Amino acid sequence: MAQNINPHYASSSNPAKQSEDTIKLKDNHAVSKRLQKELMELMRCSDKGISAFPESENLFKWIGTINGPLETVYAGHKYKLSLEFPNSYPYAPPVVKFMTPCFHPNVDTCGLICLDILKDKWTALYDVRTVLLSIQSLLAEPNTQSPLNQQASYLWPNQAAYKKYLDEFYNKHKDS
Amino acid sequence: MSSTEPSQNKTWELSLYELHRTPQEVITDATEIAVSPRSLHSELMCPICLDMLKKTMTTKECLHRFCNDCIITALRSGNKECPTCRKKLVSKRSLRPDPNFDLLISKIYPSRDEYEAHQELVLAKLSMSHSQASLVNSITEGIKLQSQNRPQRSRKNHDESSNASNSNGNVETVQNGSNSATPKDGTSSSGNPAQSGQSTSNPASVRSTPSPVPSNVSSVSKNTSTTKRAKSVLTSERSEESESSDGRTEGENSMDTEGEGEPLNPNEIELVFKPHPTEMTGDNQLMRALCDNSVRYLKTTPNASVDHLSKYLAMRLTLDLDAELPEALRLLNFCIYVAPSPGQFVLLAGSQTLRQIIDKFWKVNKPLEMFYSWKKT
Repeated sequence: MAQNINPHYASSSNPAKQSEDTIKLKDNHAVSKRLQKELMELMRCSDKGISAFPESENLFKWIGTINGPLETVYAGHKYKLSLEFPNSYPYAPPVVKFMTPCFHPNVDTCGLICLDILKDKWTALYDVRTVLLSIQSLLAEPNTQSPLNQQASYLWPNQAAYKKYLDEFYNKHKDS
Repeated sequence: MSSTEPSQNKTWELSLYELHRTPQEVITDATEIAVSPRSLHSELMCPICLDMLKKTMTTKECLHRFCNDCIITALRSGNKECPTCRKKLVSKRSLRPDPNFDLLISKIYPSRDEYEAHQELVLAKLSMSHSQASLVNSITEGIKLQSQNRPQRSRKNHDESSNASNSNGNVETVQNGSNSATPKDGTSSSGNPAQSGQSTSNPASVRSTPSPVPSNVSSVSKNTSTTKRAKSVLTSERSEESESSDGRTEGENSMDTEGEGEPLNPNEIELVFKPHPTEMTGDNQLMRALCDNSVRYLKTTPNASVDHLSKYLAMRLTLDLDAELPEALRLLNFCIYVAPSPGQFVLLAGSQTLRQIIDKFWKVNKPLEMFYSWKKT
Protein backbone atom coordinates (compact mmCIF):
# COMPACT_ATOMS: atom_id res chain seq x y z
CA MET A 1 0.00 0.00 0.00
CA ALA A 2 0.95 3.64 -0.21
CA GLN A 3 4.41 3.65 1.22
CA ASN A 4 4.96 7.35 1.02
CA ILE A 5 2.31 8.15 3.52
CA ASN A 6 3.39 8.63 7.06
CA PRO A 7 1.71 5.74 8.89
CA HIS A 8 0.88 7.98 11.80
CA TYR A 9 -1.32 10.24 9.72
CA ALA A 10 -2.51 7.56 7.35
CA SER A 11 -3.63 4.89 9.76
CA SER A 12 -6.25 6.72 11.76
CA SER A 13 -6.05 10.42 11.39
CA ASN A 14 -9.32 11.19 13.07
CA PRO A 15 -9.31 8.89 16.09
CA ALA A 16 -5.65 9.65 16.74
CA LYS A 17 -6.35 13.36 16.82
CA GLN A 18 -9.15 12.81 19.25
CA SER A 19 -7.17 10.64 21.62
CA GLU A 20 -4.34 13.14 21.59
CA ASP A 21 -6.68 15.85 22.72
CA THR A 22 -7.87 13.78 25.65
CA ILE A 23 -4.29 12.89 26.46
CA LYS A 24 -3.50 16.57 26.59
CA LEU A 25 -6.20 17.29 29.14
CA LYS A 26 -5.33 14.35 31.30
CA ASP A 27 -1.62 15.02 30.98
CA ASN A 28 -1.69 18.57 32.18
CA HIS A 29 -1.11 17.00 35.55
CA ALA A 30 1.78 14.95 34.18
CA VAL A 31 3.34 18.08 32.72
CA SER A 32 3.18 19.97 36.01
CA LYS A 33 4.57 16.94 37.74
CA ARG A 34 7.54 16.81 35.46
CA LEU A 35 8.10 20.56 35.79
CA GLN A 36 7.91 20.25 39.55
CA LYS A 37 10.49 17.49 39.51
CA GLU A 38 12.77 19.60 37.37
CA LEU A 39 12.35 22.45 39.80
CA MET A 40 13.22 20.26 42.77
CA GLU A 41 16.28 18.97 40.98
CA LEU A 42 17.38 22.48 40.03
CA MET A 43 16.99 23.63 43.61
CA ARG A 44 18.86 20.63 44.93
CA CYS A 45 21.96 21.12 42.83
CA SER A 46 22.01 24.35 40.95
CA ASP A 47 24.65 24.65 38.29
CA LYS A 48 27.08 27.48 38.25
CA GLY A 49 25.99 30.23 36.01
CA ILE A 50 22.39 29.24 35.36
CA SER A 51 19.22 29.41 37.40
CA ALA A 52 15.51 29.19 36.81
CA PHE A 53 12.28 29.47 38.76
CA PRO A 54 8.58 29.71 37.93
CA GLU A 55 7.58 33.29 37.36
CA SER A 56 4.49 33.08 39.55
CA GLU A 57 2.15 30.33 40.67
CA ASN A 58 1.83 29.29 37.05
CA LEU A 59 4.27 26.45 36.70
CA PHE A 60 4.18 26.74 32.90
CA LYS A 61 6.09 29.99 32.73
CA TRP A 62 9.58 30.28 34.17
CA ILE A 63 12.23 32.95 34.29
CA GLY A 64 15.78 31.75 33.79
CA THR A 65 19.11 33.50 34.11
CA ILE A 66 22.35 32.77 32.36
CA ASN A 67 25.73 34.16 33.27
CA GLY A 68 27.91 34.86 30.29
CA PRO A 69 30.43 32.01 30.02
CA LEU A 70 33.79 32.75 31.57
CA GLU A 71 36.73 33.54 29.32
CA THR A 72 34.47 34.73 26.54
CA VAL A 73 33.36 38.18 25.50
CA TYR A 74 30.16 37.54 27.43
CA ALA A 75 31.93 36.96 30.77
CA GLY A 76 30.49 39.13 33.51
CA HIS A 77 27.19 39.65 31.72
CA LYS A 78 23.95 38.26 33.03
CA TYR A 79 20.92 37.55 30.86
CA LYS A 80 17.36 36.94 31.86
CA LEU A 81 15.22 34.64 29.74
CA SER A 82 11.60 33.58 29.68
CA LEU A 83 10.61 29.96 29.21
CA GLU A 84 7.03 29.04 28.32
CA PHE A 85 6.05 25.41 28.39
CA PRO A 86 3.34 24.09 26.07
CA ASN A 87 0.84 21.51 27.32
CA SER A 88 2.66 19.00 25.17
CA TYR A 89 5.92 19.49 27.10
CA PRO A 90 8.31 17.64 27.19
CA TYR A 91 7.34 16.24 23.80
CA ALA A 92 7.48 19.75 22.40
CA PRO A 93 10.13 22.31 23.32
CA PRO A 94 9.49 25.32 25.54
CA VAL A 95 9.41 28.73 23.90
CA VAL A 96 12.58 30.42 25.12
CA LYS A 97 13.33 34.09 24.65
CA PHE A 98 15.90 36.55 25.91
CA MET A 99 14.28 39.18 28.11
CA THR A 100 17.54 41.05 28.56
CA PRO A 101 18.46 42.34 25.09
CA CYS A 102 21.29 40.19 23.81
CA PHE A 103 23.70 41.13 21.07
CA HIS A 104 24.55 37.82 19.46
CA PRO A 105 24.64 36.40 15.91
CA ASN A 106 21.86 33.91 16.67
CA VAL A 107 19.55 36.14 18.71
CA ASP A 108 17.25 38.62 17.03
CA THR A 109 16.12 42.00 18.31
CA CYS A 110 12.99 40.51 19.91
CA GLY A 111 15.08 38.02 21.87
CA LEU A 112 14.18 35.05 19.70
CA ILE A 113 16.89 32.42 19.63
CA CYS A 114 17.94 30.35 16.65
CA LEU A 115 18.98 27.05 18.19
CA ASP A 116 18.28 23.66 16.67
CA ILE A 117 17.47 21.90 19.94
CA LEU A 118 14.66 24.38 20.53
CA LYS A 119 13.20 23.45 17.14
CA ASP A 120 13.67 20.30 15.10
CA LYS A 121 16.41 18.77 17.25
CA TRP A 122 14.34 18.86 20.41
CA THR A 123 13.93 15.61 22.30
CA ALA A 124 11.91 14.87 25.41
CA LEU A 125 15.13 14.37 27.34
CA TYR A 126 16.04 18.03 27.29
CA ASP A 127 14.95 20.02 30.27
CA VAL A 128 15.25 23.51 31.68
CA ARG A 129 18.77 22.86 32.86
CA THR A 130 20.10 21.51 29.57
CA VAL A 131 18.28 24.17 27.56
CA LEU A 132 19.86 26.96 29.60
CA LEU A 133 23.28 25.30 29.43
CA SER A 134 22.93 24.98 25.66
CA ILE A 135 22.06 28.64 25.31
CA GLN A 136 24.99 29.51 27.54
CA SER A 137 27.33 27.63 25.26
CA LEU A 138 25.69 29.17 22.20
CA LEU A 139 26.80 32.53 23.59
CA ALA A 140 30.39 31.33 23.47
CA GLU A 141 30.11 29.58 20.13
CA PRO A 142 27.71 31.29 17.79
CA ASN A 143 26.77 29.89 14.43
CA THR A 144 27.80 32.73 12.16
CA GLN A 145 26.66 30.87 9.05
CA SER A 146 22.95 31.48 9.59
CA PRO A 147 22.76 34.68 11.58
CA LEU A 148 19.63 36.37 12.86
CA ASN A 149 21.73 39.39 13.69
CA GLN A 150 23.89 40.22 10.65
CA GLN A 151 25.86 42.91 12.40
CA ALA A 152 26.87 40.64 15.25
CA SER A 153 27.83 37.91 12.86
CA TYR A 154 29.91 40.31 10.80
CA LEU A 155 31.64 41.71 13.87
CA TRP A 156 32.27 38.35 15.56
CA PRO A 157 35.66 37.55 13.93
CA ASN A 158 37.12 40.72 15.41
CA GLN A 159 36.78 39.80 19.07
CA ALA A 160 38.22 43.03 20.45
CA ALA A 161 35.80 45.20 18.51
CA TYR A 162 33.00 42.76 19.25
CA LYS A 163 33.65 42.97 22.96
CA LYS A 164 33.74 46.74 22.92
CA TYR A 165 30.43 46.98 21.10
CA LEU A 166 28.91 44.19 23.19
CA ASP A 167 29.80 45.83 26.51
CA GLU A 168 28.35 49.13 25.40
CA PHE A 169 25.22 47.40 24.18
CA TYR A 170 24.88 45.40 27.38
CA ASN A 171 25.37 48.35 29.70
CA LYS A 172 22.86 50.37 27.76
CA HIS A 173 20.16 47.70 27.68
CA LYS A 174 20.64 45.49 30.71
CA ASP A 175 18.07 47.37 32.76
CA SER A 176 15.40 47.51 30.10
CA MET B 1 19.21 -17.25 1.66
CA SER B 2 20.42 -13.86 0.58
CA SER B 3 17.67 -12.16 2.49
CA THR B 4 19.12 -13.20 5.82
CA GLU B 5 22.56 -11.87 5.01
CA PRO B 6 22.18 -8.25 5.94
CA SER B 7 21.21 -9.05 9.49
CA GLN B 8 24.18 -11.40 9.90
CA ASN B 9 26.59 -8.82 8.60
CA LYS B 10 25.28 -6.24 10.96
CA THR B 11 28.07 -4.38 12.68
CA TRP B 12 27.53 -3.26 16.23
CA GLU B 13 28.68 0.16 17.12
CA LEU B 14 30.36 -0.68 20.39
CA SER B 15 32.23 1.82 22.45
CA LEU B 16 35.76 1.15 23.59
CA TYR B 17 34.43 0.39 27.03
CA GLU B 18 31.96 -2.11 25.67
CA LEU B 19 34.65 -3.85 23.64
CA HIS B 20 36.96 -4.26 26.59
CA ARG B 21 34.67 -4.85 29.49
CA THR B 22 34.44 -8.25 31.11
CA PRO B 23 31.35 -9.72 32.69
CA GLN B 24 30.84 -9.18 36.39
CA GLU B 25 31.32 -12.21 38.59
CA VAL B 26 28.05 -13.73 39.65
CA ILE B 27 27.45 -13.28 43.34
CA THR B 28 26.53 -16.63 44.83
CA ASP B 29 27.13 -16.07 48.53
CA ALA B 30 25.37 -13.70 50.89
CA THR B 31 27.42 -10.67 49.84
CA GLU B 32 25.44 -7.47 49.98
CA ILE B 33 26.24 -4.47 47.86
CA ALA B 34 25.04 -1.07 49.00
CA VAL B 35 23.44 1.08 46.32
CA SER B 36 22.53 4.67 47.02
CA PRO B 37 18.83 5.49 46.56
CA ARG B 38 19.75 8.24 44.16
CA SER B 39 21.75 6.11 41.79
CA LEU B 40 19.13 3.41 42.00
CA HIS B 41 16.45 5.92 41.20
CA SER B 42 18.30 7.15 38.14
CA GLU B 43 18.45 3.57 36.86
CA LEU B 44 14.76 2.93 37.37
CA MET B 45 13.58 6.30 36.16
CA CYS B 46 12.01 7.08 32.83
CA PRO B 47 14.01 10.01 31.43
CA ILE B 48 10.89 11.47 29.85
CA CYS B 49 8.43 11.72 32.74
CA LEU B 50 11.15 11.47 35.42
CA ASP B 51 8.93 8.99 37.22
CA MET B 52 9.64 5.36 37.90
CA LEU B 53 9.35 3.29 34.74
CA LYS B 54 5.86 2.04 34.04
CA LYS B 55 5.32 -0.72 31.48
CA THR B 56 8.95 -0.52 30.44
CA MET B 57 9.78 -0.44 26.74
CA THR B 58 13.36 -0.89 25.59
CA THR B 59 14.70 0.27 22.27
CA LYS B 60 15.90 -2.74 20.36
CA GLU B 61 19.12 -1.30 19.04
CA CYS B 62 20.37 1.17 21.60
CA LEU B 63 18.74 -0.45 24.64
CA HIS B 64 17.38 2.71 26.23
CA ARG B 65 14.35 2.35 28.47
CA PHE B 66 11.17 4.40 28.67
CA CYS B 67 7.62 4.04 29.93
CA ASN B 68 5.38 2.64 27.25
CA ASP B 69 3.16 5.73 27.21
CA CYS B 70 6.08 8.14 27.22
CA ILE B 71 7.99 6.66 24.30
CA ILE B 72 4.85 6.16 22.23
CA THR B 73 3.89 9.79 22.71
CA ALA B 74 7.45 10.89 21.99
CA LEU B 75 7.61 8.95 18.73
CA ARG B 76 4.21 10.21 17.72
CA SER B 77 4.96 13.84 18.38
CA GLY B 78 8.57 14.20 17.38
CA ASN B 79 11.37 12.84 15.35
CA LYS B 80 11.51 9.14 14.80
CA GLU B 81 14.60 8.70 16.89
CA CYS B 82 15.59 7.52 20.32
CA PRO B 83 15.08 10.48 22.67
CA THR B 84 18.24 9.50 24.54
CA CYS B 85 20.74 8.94 21.74
CA ARG B 86 18.97 9.91 18.49
CA LYS B 87 19.30 6.42 17.03
CA LYS B 88 16.64 5.97 14.36
CA LEU B 89 13.45 4.38 15.65
CA VAL B 90 11.35 3.52 12.66
CA SER B 91 8.19 2.65 14.52
CA LYS B 92 6.82 0.90 17.56
CA ARG B 93 8.48 -2.21 16.19
CA SER B 94 11.85 -0.76 17.08
CA LEU B 95 10.83 -1.20 20.69
CA ARG B 96 10.22 -4.26 22.79
CA PRO B 97 8.42 -4.61 26.10
CA ASP B 98 10.75 -5.32 28.99
CA PRO B 99 8.70 -7.31 31.52
CA ASN B 100 11.86 -8.38 33.35
CA PHE B 101 12.63 -4.81 34.18
CA ASP B 102 9.07 -4.27 35.39
CA LEU B 103 9.50 -7.30 37.63
CA LEU B 104 12.77 -5.93 38.94
CA ILE B 105 11.09 -2.66 39.86
CA SER B 106 8.22 -4.40 41.57
CA LYS B 107 10.70 -6.47 43.58
CA ILE B 108 12.63 -3.41 44.70
CA TYR B 109 9.53 -1.30 45.30
CA PRO B 110 6.76 -3.74 46.27
CA SER B 111 4.53 -0.90 47.43
CA ARG B 112 4.86 1.27 44.42
CA ASP B 113 1.35 2.70 44.67
CA GLU B 114 2.09 3.83 48.17
CA TYR B 115 5.33 5.40 47.04
CA GLU B 116 3.57 7.28 44.29
CA ALA B 117 0.78 8.44 46.56
CA HIS B 118 3.36 9.73 48.98
CA GLN B 119 5.21 11.53 46.24
CA GLU B 120 2.01 13.17 45.02
CA LEU B 121 1.43 14.37 48.56
CA VAL B 122 4.87 15.91 48.85
CA LEU B 123 4.51 17.67 45.52
CA ALA B 124 1.06 18.93 46.43
CA LYS B 125 2.35 20.26 49.76
CA LEU B 126 5.24 21.94 48.04
CA SER B 127 3.06 23.71 45.53
CA MET B 128 0.58 24.63 48.24
CA SER B 129 3.19 26.20 50.46
CA HIS B 130 4.55 27.92 47.37
CA SER B 131 1.24 29.60 46.63
CA GLN B 132 0.26 30.12 50.25
CA ALA B 133 3.53 31.81 50.95
CA SER B 134 3.02 34.22 48.11
CA LEU B 135 -0.53 35.00 49.21
CA VAL B 136 0.39 35.70 52.82
CA ASN B 137 3.38 37.68 51.80
CA SER B 138 1.60 39.72 49.19
CA ILE B 139 -0.56 41.09 51.97
CA THR B 140 2.12 41.68 54.57
CA GLU B 141 4.66 42.94 52.06
CA GLY B 142 2.27 45.49 50.71
CA ILE B 143 1.66 46.98 54.11
CA LYS B 144 5.27 46.88 55.16
CA LEU B 145 6.66 48.28 51.97
CA GLN B 146 4.35 51.24 52.12
CA SER B 147 5.63 52.21 55.52
CA GLN B 148 9.26 51.79 54.59
CA ASN B 149 8.96 53.20 51.14
CA ARG B 150 10.75 56.43 51.74
CA PRO B 151 13.95 55.33 53.51
CA GLN B 152 14.36 52.42 51.18
CA ARG B 153 14.04 54.47 48.09
CA SER B 154 16.93 56.71 48.98
CA ARG B 155 19.04 53.70 49.92
CA LYS B 156 18.23 51.98 46.67
CA ASN B 157 19.13 55.00 44.64
CA HIS B 158 22.49 54.86 46.18
CA ASP B 159 22.97 51.15 45.67
CA GLU B 160 21.84 51.25 42.10
CA SER B 161 24.41 53.84 41.22
CA SER B 162 27.20 51.93 42.88
CA ASN B 163 26.11 48.90 40.91
CA ALA B 164 26.23 50.79 37.71
CA SER B 165 29.82 51.56 38.34
CA ASN B 166 30.60 47.93 38.83
CA SER B 167 28.90 46.54 35.80
CA ASN B 168 31.43 47.46 33.17
CA GLY B 169 32.01 43.80 32.82
CA ASN B 170 35.64 43.34 33.66
CA VAL B 171 36.73 41.17 36.48
CA GLU B 172 38.55 43.72 38.56
CA THR B 173 35.53 45.91 39.02
CA VAL B 174 33.51 42.84 39.81
CA GLN B 175 35.87 41.97 42.58
CA ASN B 176 35.87 45.23 44.39
CA GLY B 177 32.15 45.22 43.85
CA SER B 178 31.73 42.31 46.19
CA ASN B 179 32.25 44.69 49.07
CA SER B 180 29.09 46.51 48.27
CA ALA B 181 27.07 43.31 48.52
CA THR B 182 26.96 43.90 52.22
CA PRO B 183 25.40 47.17 53.12
CA LYS B 184 27.75 49.94 54.11
CA ASP B 185 28.03 53.56 53.36
CA GLY B 186 29.88 52.79 50.15
CA THR B 187 31.96 55.90 49.79
CA SER B 188 34.58 53.73 48.14
CA SER B 189 32.75 53.63 44.84
CA SER B 190 32.19 57.34 44.55
CA GLY B 191 35.48 57.87 42.79
CA ASN B 192 34.52 55.76 39.80
CA PRO B 193 33.94 57.91 36.76
CA ALA B 194 31.32 55.58 35.34
CA GLN B 195 29.04 56.20 38.24
CA SER B 196 28.06 59.74 37.52
CA GLY B 197 27.50 58.98 33.87
CA GLN B 198 25.30 56.01 34.58
CA SER B 199 23.19 57.54 37.23
CA THR B 200 22.41 60.57 35.15
CA SER B 201 21.83 58.67 31.93
CA ASN B 202 18.97 56.60 33.23
CA PRO B 203 17.50 58.31 36.23
CA ALA B 204 14.04 57.15 35.18
CA SER B 205 14.79 53.49 35.66
CA VAL B 206 16.60 54.08 38.90
CA ARG B 207 13.71 55.93 40.37
CA SER B 208 10.84 54.01 38.94
CA THR B 209 11.89 50.40 39.38
CA PRO B 210 12.35 50.17 43.12
CA SER B 211 8.91 51.40 44.00
CA PRO B 212 6.21 49.83 41.81
CA VAL B 213 4.87 47.79 44.68
CA PRO B 214 4.03 50.52 47.13
CA SER B 215 2.86 52.95 44.49
CA ASN B 216 0.35 50.88 42.56
CA VAL B 217 -1.51 48.85 45.08
CA SER B 218 -3.25 46.46 42.69
CA SER B 219 -3.10 43.01 44.16
CA VAL B 220 -1.97 41.45 40.91
CA SER B 221 1.26 43.33 40.63
CA LYS B 222 1.98 42.75 44.27
CA ASN B 223 1.48 39.10 43.86
CA THR B 224 3.99 38.67 41.10
CA SER B 225 6.57 40.82 42.75
CA THR B 226 6.42 38.91 45.99
CA THR B 227 6.84 35.61 44.29
CA LYS B 228 9.76 37.03 42.44
CA ARG B 229 11.30 37.84 45.73
CA ALA B 230 10.56 34.39 47.02
CA LYS B 231 12.34 33.10 43.99
CA SER B 232 15.54 34.88 44.67
CA VAL B 233 15.43 33.61 48.22
CA LEU B 234 15.18 30.10 46.93
CA THR B 235 17.60 30.20 44.09
CA SER B 236 20.48 31.97 45.67
CA GLU B 237 21.43 29.63 48.43
CA ARG B 238 25.01 28.48 48.26
CA SER B 239 25.98 25.33 49.97
CA GLU B 240 28.86 25.32 52.37
CA GLU B 241 31.15 23.44 50.02
CA SER B 242 30.67 25.67 47.05
CA GLU B 243 31.20 28.70 49.19
CA SER B 244 34.62 27.55 50.21
CA SER B 245 35.74 25.91 47.00
CA ASP B 246 34.74 28.66 44.69
CA GLY B 247 34.77 31.89 46.55
CA ARG B 248 35.67 34.14 43.71
CA THR B 249 32.96 32.99 41.33
CA GLU B 250 30.44 33.30 44.09
CA GLY B 251 31.37 36.89 44.57
CA GLU B 252 31.04 37.43 40.89
CA ASN B 253 27.67 35.77 40.79
CA SER B 254 26.36 37.93 43.52
CA MET B 255 27.53 40.98 41.68
CA ASP B 256 25.83 39.88 38.55
CA THR B 257 22.59 39.40 40.33
CA GLU B 258 22.73 42.90 41.54
CA GLY B 259 23.66 44.29 38.18
CA GLU B 260 20.73 42.90 36.28
CA GLY B 261 18.71 40.15 37.92
CA GLU B 262 16.04 41.89 39.94
CA PRO B 263 15.49 45.50 39.24
CA LEU B 264 13.41 45.61 42.40
CA ASN B 265 16.24 44.38 44.57
CA PRO B 266 19.49 45.92 43.51
CA ASN B 267 21.10 44.88 46.76
CA GLU B 268 21.82 41.52 48.30
CA ILE B 269 22.19 40.41 51.85
CA GLU B 270 24.36 37.55 52.95
CA LEU B 271 23.16 35.65 55.92
CA VAL B 272 24.05 32.66 58.01
CA PHE B 273 21.40 30.47 59.58
CA LYS B 274 22.42 28.62 62.70
CA PRO B 275 20.36 26.45 64.98
CA HIS B 276 19.25 28.21 68.16
CA PRO B 277 21.96 27.23 70.71
CA THR B 278 19.61 26.47 73.57
CA GLU B 279 16.41 25.43 71.84
CA MET B 280 18.03 23.27 69.19
CA THR B 281 20.31 21.02 71.19
CA GLY B 282 21.71 17.65 70.24
CA ASP B 283 18.73 15.68 71.52
CA ASN B 284 16.32 17.60 69.31
CA GLN B 285 14.88 15.25 66.72
CA LEU B 286 15.44 17.63 63.84
CA MET B 287 19.00 18.37 64.89
CA ARG B 288 19.81 14.72 64.87
CA ALA B 289 18.42 14.36 61.37
CA LEU B 290 20.32 17.42 60.15
CA CYS B 291 23.71 16.39 61.59
CA ASP B 292 26.33 18.61 59.96
CA ASN B 293 23.88 20.35 57.70
CA SER B 294 22.38 22.56 60.35
CA VAL B 295 24.27 25.73 59.36
CA ARG B 296 23.00 27.35 56.16
CA TYR B 297 24.39 30.18 54.14
CA LEU B 298 22.35 32.17 51.74
CA LYS B 299 22.21 35.35 49.79
CA THR B 300 18.92 37.05 49.32
CA THR B 301 17.25 40.38 48.85
CA PRO B 302 16.60 42.90 51.61
CA ASN B 303 12.89 42.65 50.85
CA ALA B 304 12.66 39.01 51.95
CA SER B 305 10.60 38.75 55.09
CA VAL B 306 11.01 36.43 58.04
CA ASP B 307 8.00 34.51 56.71
CA HIS B 308 9.85 33.98 53.46
CA LEU B 309 12.85 32.69 55.31
CA SER B 310 10.98 30.24 57.50
CA LYS B 311 9.04 28.93 54.49
CA TYR B 312 12.31 28.62 52.69
CA LEU B 313 13.94 26.76 55.56
CA ALA B 314 11.01 24.38 55.81
CA MET B 315 11.08 23.60 52.10
CA ARG B 316 14.84 23.38 51.88
CA LEU B 317 15.26 21.10 54.87
CA THR B 318 12.38 18.89 53.78
CA LEU B 319 14.04 18.46 50.41
CA ASP B 320 17.44 17.73 51.90
CA LEU B 321 16.31 15.30 54.54
CA ASP B 322 13.58 13.62 52.55
CA ALA B 323 14.20 9.98 53.41
CA GLU B 324 15.58 10.36 56.92
CA LEU B 325 12.90 12.72 58.10
CA PRO B 326 10.10 11.16 60.12
CA GLU B 327 6.63 11.96 58.80
CA ALA B 328 5.80 14.04 61.88
CA LEU B 329 8.57 16.48 61.04
CA ARG B 330 7.61 17.03 57.46
CA LEU B 331 5.68 20.22 57.81
CA LEU B 332 8.14 22.37 59.65
CA ASN B 333 7.55 25.65 61.35
CA PHE B 334 10.44 27.78 62.43
CA CYS B 335 10.96 30.58 64.88
CA ILE B 336 13.66 32.90 63.67
CA TYR B 337 15.85 34.94 65.99
CA VAL B 338 18.55 37.51 65.65
CA ALA B 339 21.25 38.07 68.29
CA PRO B 340 22.18 41.76 68.51
CA SER B 341 24.64 40.89 71.26
CA PRO B 342 25.99 37.47 72.25
CA GLY B 343 23.49 35.44 74.25
CA GLN B 344 20.62 37.83 73.58
CA PHE B 345 18.06 36.34 71.18
CA VAL B 346 15.28 38.44 69.78
CA LEU B 347 12.35 36.59 68.22
CA LEU B 348 11.43 38.13 64.87
CA ALA B 349 7.91 38.72 63.61
CA GLY B 350 7.02 37.07 60.32
CA SER B 351 6.35 40.29 58.46
CA GLN B 352 9.69 41.93 59.21
CA THR B 353 11.96 42.25 56.22
CA LEU B 354 15.69 41.75 56.27
CA ARG B 355 16.20 45.41 55.58
CA GLN B 356 14.28 46.32 58.72
CA ILE B 357 16.09 43.70 60.77
CA ILE B 358 19.47 44.92 59.65
CA ASP B 359 18.57 48.53 60.32
CA LYS B 360 17.35 47.65 63.77
CA PHE B 361 19.68 44.94 65.01
CA TRP B 362 22.64 44.44 62.75
CA LYS B 363 24.71 47.55 62.33
CA VAL B 364 28.02 45.79 61.79
CA ASN B 365 29.41 45.17 58.33
CA LYS B 366 29.47 41.37 58.27
CA PRO B 367 27.03 38.69 57.13
CA LEU B 368 23.81 38.75 59.10
CA GLU B 369 23.58 35.88 61.57
CA MET B 370 20.20 34.41 62.33
CA PHE B 371 19.10 31.52 64.50
CA TYR B 372 16.27 29.13 63.91
CA SER B 373 14.41 26.81 66.18
CA TRP B 374 11.78 24.33 65.29
CA LYS B 375 8.23 24.85 66.54
CA LYS B 376 6.40 21.71 67.47
CA THR B 377 2.97 23.13 66.76
